[in-house]
Amino acid sequence: MKKHKVLIANRGEIAIRILEACRRLGLDFVCVYTKEDRASMHCELALKYGGEKSLYRISSYLDANEIFAVADHSQATAIHPGYGFFAENYRFARRATQRTRPLIFIGPNWKIVKDLGDKINTKRLARMLNVPTVPGSDRPIYDDLEAEELARNLFNFQKEQGIEYPVILVKASAGGGGMGIEEVGDLDRFKTVLRRLRNYAQRQFGNDGVLIEQRIFDFNHLEVQIVADKYGNVVHFGTRNCTIQSTGRQKRIEVAPGFYPKTISYAFDANKVLNDIVKYSIRMAKYVGYDNVGTWEWIVSPTGQPFLMEVNTRIQVENGVSAIISRVKGKDVDIIEEQIRLGLGEKLTYTQRDITFTGVGIEYRIIAESPEEDFQPWVGTIERFSWPKYEWAKVFTHVPQDRPYEIPTEFDPNLAMAIVWGKNLEEAKRNGLKFLNEVVLEGKNKRGEPLKSNLKFLKQKTESILKF
Amino acid sequence: MKQRNISEFLDKIKENPYKEIVVKAPHCGYVEFVVTQKGVPVSGPEGKYKEKPGTLLAYIVRENNKKPIFALENGAISEIFPLKNKEFVQAGTPLLKIRHYLTKQEVIDLILQKTLYLVKAQEKGKYYFVPEIDKKIGTKGCQSVLLRPGEEILILNVMKREKYISYEGPKGLIYAIYFKQGQTLDCGDILFGVCPQEDLESIKEVIVKVQSEWEEVRIG
Repeated sequence: MKKHKVLIANRGEIAIRILEACRRLGLDFVCVYTKEDRASMHCELALKYGGEKSLYRISSYLDANEIFAVADHSQATAIHPGYGFFAENYRFARRATQRTRPLIFIGPNWKIVKDLGDKINTKRLARMLNVPTVPGSDRPIYDDLEAEELARNLFNFQKEQGIEYPVILVKASAGGGGMGIEEVGDLDRFKTVLRRLRNYAQRQFGNDGVLIEQRIFDFNHLEVQIVADKYGNVVHFGTRNCTIQSTGRQKRIEVAPGFYPKTISYAFDANKVLNDIVKYSIRMAKYVGYDNVGTWEWIVSPTGQPFLMEVNTRIQVENGVSAIISRVKGKDVDIIEEQIRLGLGEKLTYTQRDITFTGVGIEYRIIAESPEEDFQPWVGTIERFSWPKYEWAKVFTHVPQDRPYEIPTEFDPNLAMAIVWGKNLEEAKRNGLKFLNEVVLEGKNKRGEPLKSNLKFLKQKTESILKF
Repeated sequence: MKQRNISEFLDKIKENPYKEIVVKAPHCGYVEFVVTQKGVPVSGPEGKYKEKPGTLLAYIVRENNKKPIFALENGAISEIFPLKNKEFVQAGTPLLKIRHYLTKQEVIDLILQKTLYLVKAQEKGKYYFVPEIDKKIGTKGCQSVLLRPGEEILILNVMKREKYISYEGPKGLIYAIYFKQGQTLDCGDILFGVCPQEDLESIKEVIVKVQSEWEEVRIG
């Protein structure tokens, strides 16, 4: 591989994972940070492994001009957006590759990001390919009257299906990661929610368009991990189940594989559902000429009916839980390394037959928050953070262990991702509980109140993993 | 605050009526200085809507865009940081320092912060007025907003999660706003000051006193 220099246009733990993947691949790297993030471990590691010239302070992670200015000054040849804002921004991907001094965008090509990065286009494409999707709008709605009309139709549609208490979801069309979604059970309340959500969406995303969909109850949230190269080869790294979420629909526990029919009884043929969502995902990936890593997100109804929700044209936070159960030709795999390799133009050196799956992986998102208070983030300083070392566990974090760390309030609240493995579900759950019981996470806020975390919540939820 | 206390406070400000303003690189890029000497007087933006920019201090060039850096206050250059012309600077790099003589309005703000009931940031995060209040401020000005205890007035955004905050002070008008919506604030930063309606007259007296006693110095 040509000696590339990768600009890591993201922060926190994903910046560290990319940095480490670059080092394993023998690539140079350069990191960026903002003033709020100076204490993050990604800065320390950038300086440690790359020296002063490998770390630049920028004004914002969301400023493309800033990122490109650093890329030019540092002589970077490629850019990795992590899983942040630029990862699904086709304009950014296009600009990277078409500017006077082009950069390789480590991700799918911009046309694919454009087509699939947009939930609405994805829905249209899926419907065209006979891939099942949730009933509802397939374009953003900006007009209150039109929104009300669609909501009324969806309520009526559900009533016709015999649903006693129909519910619809109102989503910020520019949102993502569980942000800006509310559910409504009647048309009167819909108007209030619509107004509030459009205000929120305008503040958060600068776009007040909404999507309106039927709410599927008691569903499981599944994902298919796709990996593809620029030469038409597409493979998958299995399924994940991300059903355990906060009340704000943000993932807290991810499990691979997506169901476990070996020991859990489901009301439907779970193997068939898993095979179907993989088949549909690959069908779409091949149709669009997908050429990097990506995740097809599904919801599965209690009767085993899958609906495509969206495609994330980027690496996901939870990629590691797929990697921990996957082997390529019998060897461990790192999906971020694969992403970089393929992004730089290499070919997949294996086929689906070479990929095997073993055991169960569980990823816990460790967060300073209060599950008892609607998962309200806790703001303050972490004074002690440590975890046990086991060969079946991996931890990814940007939080330093050797000094206090003030949690920045500008970003997502994830503090660490702990991934445990077991040769079967029971062992994985036992390992998970053992690990969580030994985690130490302490701190204080400015009022001297102790740190609140979701560790207890994660332990409680471990019991119900993969049960439907 | 009593008249005597106000006079004492004014005297204290007069002992050192300056503020040092560090002009930093707003983002990465190549710096080109326009002002190159210490002591040069500079002026801040002018006009009814501050539409006339202040003295041009430097440019930051990135992605073929030349961004001018203007003085945001009146004053004189008190320090130029040792950087080469056309050197690449990172965001936040100090470029220049301006010694700024406090204006009447700034002195009034300092005194008002000792007089009004101050609403402060309860925790670190981004603060917004609720849309109803924001709209009223936008159309009629902040002094048209009467707050009552228990009323939801602010939205606190922490890590992309929002929380509504109720007002817990005395009934009164929002007299002055000291924060920008969407800007990250620290715990304890002042958001705005509230004036109970019965105190409006005494607040006006404070302002008149400052306006008569504070002599504004204009440099540049």
